[in-house]
Amino acid sequence: MVFTTVAQFVRANINKIKGPDEFWRKRRIFRLTAHFIGRKRNCYSLAIRGAHRALQYATKGRHLKKKDMKDLWLQRVSAGSEEHGVPFPVLQKGLIRSDVLLSQKTLSELATWEPRTFKALTQLAWTKGVEDGFNRIETLGEPPKNVVTRGMLTKEVYLSDDETKK
Amino acid sequence: MRNIFERVKQWNTLTRIWHLYDAKWQDPFDSAKVIQKYLKGLHKPIYHPLADCGDHVVVINCKEIAMRGDEWRKRAYFHHTGYAGGGTYTLAWELHDKNPLMIMKKAVYRSMKGNLQRRYTMERLHLYAEENVPQDIIENISSVIPQLRDVPMRLDRMPEDQVKGYPKIWDLPKDYVVR
Amino acid sequence: MTSRLSALPVLFVRLQRPCPLVQNRGFKRWLRPTLQTLKKRKERMDPEPLPRRSSFTDWNYKSELFAFGKRLGEDLNLDVLRTAVTTREFVLNEIDQQKAVGIEIDIQMNDNSKMILEGSEIINNYSLNFLRSAFPKLPEEGVIAVQTYLTCEENLSTLAKNLGVADLMLTPEHPVEAVTLSNGFKALVAAISESSGIERANLFVRDFVMTQLVGKNINELWEVNDPLNLLSSILQRDGKQPFEPRIVAETGRNTILANYQVGLYVNKELIGLGCGESIKIATEVAARDALRELFDTTESMKPVNFDVESLPQTFANFSIQDWSSKNVEKLMKSSR
Repeated sequence: MVFTTVAQFVRANINKIKGPDEFWRKRRIFRLTAHFIGRKRNCYSLAIRGAHRALQYATKGRHLKKKDMKDLWLQRVSAGSEEHGVPFPVLQKGLIRSDVLLSQKTLSELATWEPRTFKALTQLAWTKGVEDGFNRIETLGEPPKNVVTRGMLTKEVYLSDDETKK
Repeated sequence: MRNIFERVKQWNTLTRIWHLYDAKWQDPFDSAKVIQKYLKGLHKPIYHPLADCGDHVVVINCKEIAMRGDEWRKRAYFHHTGYAGGGTYTLAWELHDKNPLMIMKKAVYRSMKGNLQRRYTMERLHLYAEENVPQDIIENISSVIPQLRDVPMRLDRMPEDQVKGYPKIWDLPKDYVVR
Repeated sequence: MTSRLSALPVLFVRLQRPCPLVQNRGFKRWLRPTLQTLKKRKERMDPEPLPRRSSFTDWNYKSELFAFGKRLGEDLNLDVLRTAVTTREFVLNEIDQQKAVGIEIDIQMNDNSKMILEGSEIINNYSLNFLRSAFPKLPEEGVIAVQTYLTCEENLSTLAKNLGVADLMLTPEHPVEAVTLSNGFKALVAAISESSGIERANLFVRDFVMTQLVGKNINELWEVNDPLNLLSSILQRDGKQPFEPRIVAETGRNTILANYQVGLYVNKELIGLGCGESIKIATEVAARDALRELFDTTESMKPVNFDVESLPQTFANFSIQDWSSKNVEKLMKSSR
């Protein structure tokens, strides 16, 4: 078996580490608690409790980190799109309907590092919103004039039944 | 960093903008939600909870905030001195009479999550009861946060000729007493 | 049966004894104290000297030289290559050693001092021409600054080290110093030129020296002194009106975190935009911005094209003193 981290190695072998020389057995735990503060760093009976707790936190943290990053990306993208006068739902819906399938992460990176590109995306979404008649789209004000779609972004898939019949 | 362009670009990106917000006839709790966004820097695409990227907000006309329904009479602010029997409830209108900034301040403070950063974020909020703001603060301002609602014109503050020139449907009887 | 067994050798008898079938390797109780003692002793001693690669038993200098040329994809003359990596000090050292031993001196070794000069000339010529044709609008001072950076001792020695020249160098010093390495690189270029012609050497310089430009910002390698005066003199030479600085935006004027954006306008047209903590700095940055727009070294400039076989331009770019956009455009048209 290959273990990419010490933590995973210990988790797999925690019950197997036996033997007369306690040094090796304890050293594996002390490696995990090397960055702790206080007696739970160097006193074994406290250290092993701390290590177990830390590994539990790490398990939870792996899921929480993903959620936190998603929240952060959402926050950044909506901040970026509101800077250009487009609320986030309009941006999202407009981009999907224009077949611009960028992930939240990519969008947030564009908003930070490529502000002009991101602005173009918001304007595209806005234009699409006007073409498709999004709810209350007219409250955003004058739509951008520099986007030329020539009606080519329209797809039958996204139109409701009544519209296709026409 | 040798390149001057990179240095000023960073300065420009992380600069603190000073925003102005006119609280006249605005709901303090709805306004607080908007103001805290600017204080924390949530309106920037570079936002990160650990990055110090919040802006300053100068709120004027705190004295003339508006509350819904009969909230002025029903909303109570609790304070405890810490001694036995030291709790007091102050109604919103009473508190507003004592200190016209307090309701706005508490609204913004409560709109944010209670963490170590909150008190430092609050230091970037500058509240003024009226329109007269010190000159050195005025000079810092470079942006305006749009008001949530339009301020309606009050009849008693309209110019008289505009009121008189307004088309009437009927003339009031001569003996009618206008209060 | 038993009586016959007793006559067998002792070893066989031992095998007959009941013993567990499990392998019993045991825990090495001596391992930890031994490792710890070794580590402590090692810490107490001076750091180990770096071993020379040539002191290893598998070292075969001749085949290493041959393989080096093949690794570079060059068809190198081995004698020339050997000369290129032999330093003057090494040859003198050899002579001294032979003298000390008392044998008659008959050393037929050449050192690389002549090849260093040759190689250096090839590198300088090619890199100047390459930079001039890659940045036709950049003033000659900038071209020279970029060239100095690309061919400085630090960069050339890094290149030589990464190519594996350090192990091949015949020099008494150990580890090999940066000067020797960069000289080795220059001599290597001369060796390529001698073995397969100057064009091959030029391509080698392009592939290894010039490609250091990838991802580099030209404005970091060359900075203009006094950009405001330079910009105004360039505008004057182009027959344009002098620029007019205007504050475009500002915030936090009375705080230590003040920020100003200044635009430079000519005929109500924006030519440069800069920002900074004071109006003076912002104006200066705006002038620099206008200059990099003129010199075509903006952040959004096209990446340098390394796919050039021959270089059209062999004449110098305009110097800062007589740079003007009219002149440059005329020159670019005529060179085409």
